Amino acid sequence: MKKMFCFICCILMVSGAAGVQAEVKNPDTFVLADYRTVQTIDPATSYDVAGSMRIWNLYETLIFFDGSSTEKYVPLLAAEVPTVANGGISADGMTYTFTIRKGVKFHEGGDLTAEDVLYSFKRNMIVDQDGGPMWMLLEALTGTGATRDKDGKITPGIFETIDKSVEVKGDKVIFHLPKAYPPLLSILCYTASSVLDKEWAISNGCWDGNIKNAAKFNNPSPGHEPLQKIENGTGPFKMKRWEPANQFVFERFDGYWGPKPQIKTGIVKYVKEWSTRKLMLQNGDADRVVVDTPYVPEVRAMDNIRLYEVPQLGFTAAMFCRKINPTGNPHIGSGKLDGNGIPPDFFSDSNVRKAFLHAFDRETYKQDVFNGLVIMPSSPNVEGLPYHEDVPVYDFDLRKSTEYMKKAWGGQIWEKGFKMIVTHNTGNDMREAAAHMLAENIMSINPKFRIDVRNVEWKDYIVQIRSFQYPLFLSGWGADYADPHNFVYPFMHSNGYYGRFMALKNDEIDKLCDAGIENVDPDKRRKIYSKLQNIWYQDAIGVPLYQQIVVRAYRDYTHGFVPNAMFTDDNEILKRIYKK
Amino acid sequence: MLAFITRRFLLLILVLFGVSVLLFGILMTFSPERRAATYVSSPQQAKDIPKIIKQFGLDDPFYLQYFRWMKEVFKGNMGWSLVASRPVWEAFWTYFPITLEMNLFAAPIVLFFGIWLGTLSGIHRDQWIDHITRILAIIGWSLPTFLFALVLLMIFYGYFQIFSPGVLSDQLKMFIMDNPDTFTRYTGMYTIDGILNGRLEITLDALAHLVLPVMTYVIVVVALNMRVMRSGMIEELSQDYVITARAKGADKHTIHIKHARRNALLPVITVAAQLIAMSMEGSIAVEVVYNRHGLGWWLAESAVQLDMPVLMCICLFMGIVFVITNLTLDILYAYIDPRIRLN
Repeated sequence: MKKMFCFICCILMVSGAAGVQAEVKNPDTFVLADYRTVQTIDPATSYDVAGSMRIWNLYETLIFFDGSSTEKYVPLLAAEVPTVANGGISADGMTYTFTIRKGVKFHEGGDLTAEDVLYSFKRNMIVDQDGGPMWMLLEALTGTGATRDKDGKITPGIFETIDKSVEVKGDKVIFHLPKAYPPLLSILCYTASSVLDKEWAISNGCWDGNIKNAAKFNNPSPGHEPLQKIENGTGPFKMKRWEPANQFVFERFDGYWGPKPQIKTGIVKYVKEWSTRKLMLQNGDADRVVVDTPYVPEVRAMDNIRLYEVPQLGFTAAMFCRKINPTGNPHIGSGKLDGNGIPPDFFSDSNVRKAFLHAFDRETYKQDVFNGLVIMPSSPNVEGLPYHEDVPVYDFDLRKSTEYMKKAWGGQIWEKGFKMIVTHNTGNDMREAAAHMLAENIMSINPKFRIDVRNVEWKDYIVQIRSFQYPLFLSGWGADYADPHNFVYPFMHSNGYYGRFMALKNDEIDKLCDAGIENVDPDKRRKIYSKLQNIWYQDAIGVPLYQQIVVRAYRDYTHGFVPNAMFTDDNEILKRIYKK
Repeated sequence: MLAFITRRFLLLILVLFGVSVLLFGILMTFSPERRAATYVSSPQQAKDIPKIIKQFGLDDPFYLQYFRWMKEVFKGNMGWSLVASRPVWEAFWTYFPITLEMNLFAAPIVLFFGIWLGTLSGIHRDQWIDHITRILAIIGWSLPTFLFALVLLMIFYGYFQIFSPGVLSDQLKMFIMDNPDTFTRYTGMYTIDGILNGRLEITLDALAHLVLPVMTYVIVVVALNMRVMRSGMIEELSQDYVITARAKGADKHTIHIKHARRNALLPVITVAAQLIAMSMEGSIAVEVVYNRHGLGWWLAESAVQLDMPVLMCICLFMGIVFVITNLTLDILYAYIDPRIRLN
């Protein structure tokens, strides 16, 4: 009965998808159906992809990415992009000068001044909410990534340092860096660098402009930041209405300084269920819907849809923890090399890591899981980032895998076998497939090898990773800014987010990572990052899994989208969109 | 009667206290790290988990955290919902009317069809009408709601392009946004607010958006009511008083409707009341598929994300709903069956 019913449902689904053609609806309105919600539209605290989309359309930054490029910029609120050649960047890379554009108005009528820019940067850094994005600017402009220490106490003198890091001279805003920081221009494109109207912000309860009072405005609880649900930017769109977890409505700002957008109204609807989103796209009730990888074949089969394939600046890997926490840890069985578990330092032997790397069938994974629509990375410095190069990878070769396993732990592993659990986060089919592939291939070389694959809800997963509970974990990282430092540091430095939880400790890597961010000379940086990418291979730090290519599905009468690897599929620059 | 009701309302305070302690205790079994992870949505943010624990005192003893929460509740602050991005209380009054609106239309239909079809089945036991309703009941009750909702959406919205998801069409929503002075949200339910504002087109549009959700809910839920009613009718019809009434020559209609059905109603009312009470926390499948963001969707998202203030709020709300439902049931029992005395 159930089978019959499912069969009928499938027939209905297919006929429903194929039999209908929607008309062009509402030419001056653009509707995007997404399934991610927005927490806040305060540029100082928003740190998710959905929030960024709203803020990029409401507010503006000094500069922005030039079309599809992640390395070239165009001026927005700055009159021009500073370079060493035009004197905007000092030769030592420690001073950046921006001339502020004239004739720019805020949504509520105020005029943009250099004072507004100065205030915005200071205010945003002062806010520095836990889990927020301000670490990027703080790291670049103050040399420290936070305003508070590990116990949550304010670092003495931090607000004075913030105060001195930016200054105004006439119509110029000057940034003083404690040391050169090459990714600064990319960070200045991020929403955390959005510019506010000083008087409006103060009147709405933001920092009062007096640095002595800064502590009172530091680290507000989520939802208690004054600009959580109000805005007054200079962007091409104003917020008409925000119904959280329902819809966000943009309205064209007629006083915009740049070319007038063709779309009058932009609506982002929260639609959680994929089938509902798909039918909305099919019927023309949505001009674009967010499509997850498993559903790409469905949109490919639809009529009147235009698809864009956009590689993302993101990297996912399977990572080996070299110092697993043995306390009450079921993932390592007995905790000994006795055939019923693994010791906590199981992966400290590079032979084990190399055996796992040779057991990963990259080509099959690419074809079977992604239908070929993926970039298979060789290191964290993925395609699209500066200084990327294709370093060698470990070929799928179970004979080599066997050889390494025989050498590992003086032959004890091969003789006694082992038992462990590999986990991935629930709902991520790509990671699940990779975990099963690794487990099956390793188990196939010796019947004494036993690996169970389990899934864990994402938030539990990150907590367990942080507790060093997983011998092998699969996780990823999306770009904050387009620079190798944002990827190499987290994955390879002993203090990097993943480096720490892999218990990596390699002085050479740490020194190279530190040198990479402190150096402004492109040639020197190229050499440093080349070396780091090769070390990723030589030291067998982790299994590079995938660099995702996102598919965007638009109704074919919707034009203007410009792909950029920095933007996830939640993003949409509305001023570029038009329908005809 | 008044003393009985007063006693039950006093009991409500105890129930709410018990529910809050129990749920808070259950939530405390999650580690501080896990509860702090609620505020995190990317690995980048996860580095601040220790600071978040300190900021919110998540590693404080249970009683301290409970009394801190209690203190805020007495101040009228139910907390902040990360899922809804707004205060819990404000979010509750946004989502609850969406769920209530569907229940207002679905509950009478469920009751009516449940009692009517159940009575028919019971009277015509093992006849064709009984077989048909039994088959329909089995199909309805065993249907996965999520799948059934999807099938209806694909047929009506996907193929015939009618009954679109959501609560109101975009054009009318934009009209309300553009003319906020001409439309007041008295109840948060567009069907009723449309009438109160004298804008029938809004009521009709909202009704059109309710057709599929109500149809899904009714077909899935009516089966249980129908089966309980049928069993009750069969049992009552075999009682001695029915045989006596027949022997005395009473007409079938009087026996079935006036005597047997009234007695068979008691279990049906119990089941129906519990179903309606449960439906107040919303139907997750219906709300997700038809994109109606009510309590069901909110509760599901909050449970997945461990949004504690929301879980506490909805559980307390459900505690109130069930106490009131049980009270109403007791009063109804006394009305239907004179043998039952409230005291």
